[in-house]
Amino acid sequence: MSRERRAKSHEPRAKMKRTLFINLLLPPYSPLTKGGHRGVKKGGVGGLVLFTLCSMLYALCFPYMVDARVKGKCKDCHSMHYSYEGREMTYGGRAGPFPALTEGGCIGCHGQAPYGTENIITIGKARIPQVLHHMQNGDLAGGNFYYVADGYNPDYSRGHNVAEISLQENPPMDVPPGFIRSVIIPGGIGPADWPGQRQLTCAGTWGCHGDRTIEDPYKSIYGAHHTDDSEIDGSTVGKSYRFLYGITGKEHKDWEYLATIDNHNGYRGDMNHSSMDTISYLCGECHARFHPHANLGGSREVGQVYNSLWLRHPSDIAFSTVHGGFAGSEYQGYVRYSLEAPVAYSRPTGGEEVVDMNSIIMCLSCHRAHASQNPDILRWDYDKVIAGSTPSGTSCLTCHTRKGQ
Amino acid sequence: MTEEVEPGKPQYVLKNVLCVNCHSNSDRDTIKILGGARVPVVNNTVKPVKPLAGGNFYYVAKDFGDRKGHNVDGVTSVDTKFQRSPPGYDRISDPSARGYNPEKPFACAGSNGCHGNRNVEDPFDSIMGTHHADDSDIDGSTTARSYRFLKNTNKVKGVVGLEDDEWNQNSSSKKHNEYSPSIDILCASCHGYFHSKDKTGKERPWFRHPTDIVLPKGGEYTNYNPDFPPPPDRPDLRTYSLDAPVGREKIPGLPSDEVNPGKDIVICLSCHVAHSSPFASMLRWDYDAIVAGEEGKGGCFICHTGKGE
Repeated sequence: MSRERRAKSHEPRAKMKRTLFINLLLPPYSPLTKGGHRGVKKGGVGGLVLFTLCSMLYALCFPYMVDARVKGKCKDCHSMHYSYEGREMTYGGRAGPFPALTEGGCIGCHGQAPYGTENIITIGKARIPQVLHHMQNGDLAGGNFYYVADGYNPDYSRGHNVAEISLQENPPMDVPPGFIRSVIIPGGIGPADWPGQRQLTCAGTWGCHGDRTIEDPYKSIYGAHHTDDSEIDGSTVGKSYRFLYGITGKEHKDWEYLATIDNHNGYRGDMNHSSMDTISYLCGECHARFHPHANLGGSREVGQVYNSLWLRHPSDIAFSTVHGGFAGSEYQGYVRYSLEAPVAYSRPTGGEEVVDMNSIIMCLSCHRAHASQNPDILRWDYDKVIAGSTPSGTSCLTCHTRKGQ
Repeated sequence: MTEEVEPGKPQYVLKNVLCVNCHSNSDRDTIKILGGARVPVVNNTVKPVKPLAGGNFYYVAKDFGDRKGHNVDGVTSVDTKFQRSPPGYDRISDPSARGYNPEKPFACAGSNGCHGNRNVEDPFDSIMGTHHADDSDIDGSTTARSYRFLKNTNKVKGVVGLEDDEWNQNSSSKKHNEYSPSIDILCASCHGYFHSKDKTGKERPWFRHPTDIVLPKGGEYTNYNPDFPPPPDRPDLRTYSLDAPVGREKIPGLPSDEVNPGKDIVICLSCHVAHSSPFASMLRWDYDAIVAGEEGKGGCFICHTGKGE
């Protein structure tokens, strides 16, 4: 018997992921007075005002109550024996059993309804971000593998070809562009080689999430969902930004769905490109030649700040360190945080509205992590960015403000 | 009693129903006296008080649902979904010469049951004489000398263990059955997929919940049964939990309240009971109520101590 996922049935089933709830204090008394008339009791006006003030103060001090680890029924994510009503199940047409007793592996939870129109699936107490879905205008911060997923009119130039979502790309794109052997990664050394037949996985040595010194994707991320991640310090996989081992940052509660310029992911950058906990360093672990960190491509591949022209577009540099200096540069024109071309910060909070000389260019300023509607996983269609024509403040011209119209 | 009598062959007319009749009770007691004998009751027709270690067929016989227990012939009707096929049955894992026959009823004993010699089809034949045999030494050599008469077949050693003289009716961490991994082999005879390393995996990450493996000496497992921490002078030990019991590689002479992560063994019965329980999948707890991340206690969290917080 096939126990297909929600896209095809309405069987109760579920998943999870950390949730954050705005904790609004309830009134100390019901505003519904005796007799059923809504109103305020005599003498209660002052109390209500006091309550309101206290609530505001509380909300300012503690904007979110964070569920530090996954909540939900075990059964919503795990199948103890890969058996349901005496039969083996399939998840999205894929047969198991699946590692870590999961119901369909990574994709079983995070891509459980490719044709579905939910980017965050809530079941019970669990909210599960979907990296593969068909919700209009619902792409999360990482993008949407839908654009590159086999079976959904994929365009492989638009995303990472992750196993179980897409087939391996043909050479030379079967190896990460810019790959350098044996670079230093959090916890150890990156792969000494990237065999052409080795397809990208969600996690592990050949993937992005989890501990990349561990080859098995599921081992590499083992326990992370159950880790108290109220503090993202990169010390463990569970306490790393989006389980990207060693990376820090501030996680938007809805994975940037309906994010605003004052409430978004807080990406960690390092204007000196000398830290290993930046989001760009994570990218550089595989695309090393595109990152100026000395462990990776370094100045030889990317160029140097201040005193040279770039060889490749830099990342993990601040506007203050651009050639010719910040003062009087076109980058002064980027002043308000842009969700289209976001920047990183040395100490991100996810609430930054202001962009200034200390704001940091990162890989994700231009690219998505998973897949996008555009070639090269860009946030915009590079083919349509035309100097002198495209409006400033958009796409490349969000930063390069003087190149636009 | 649904088996047909083969022409020309003497038959025990009582067969499986005899087992059920003796080991059932119309009141709530789970140990009854027949003559001078104390008889463990596995099937109360009213809600039992203190179900025994194997659970009580009351929960599956009373239409609480097929998922609550083994649908034993004479106790309840055939499972509507499984029909007569054990989930995860793998002929290779079944040492019985006959194998499980889905055309026949699921019985207490015999090749389509758990107790007795599973090479013998007839339930009553398969356990013949065991109640009158000396079982002071449980070494698995014969049906009578196998733990709870669970011999499996001649091909393999019977189940061994330490039998609580009250079938765990008044059990505590210091007084209880002691199990060995041999009980897993018996379960696997009919549910092989859930035991075979080819099906479960050989190490983390597991593909099915492992059984017959050592409770890890590390991570969350070192806090096994966190609500009952050991005395300060035994920091490496944990306290035995009746809700999630472990097996022993070597059966102790007396029941032990100690659990040694790194030595003691996760078994099928760590989570399930053998006969029937109030909970789906014959679990020892309500799996539906086990919620990660909410400071839950008990159930899965007796071993997975880090998931409940």
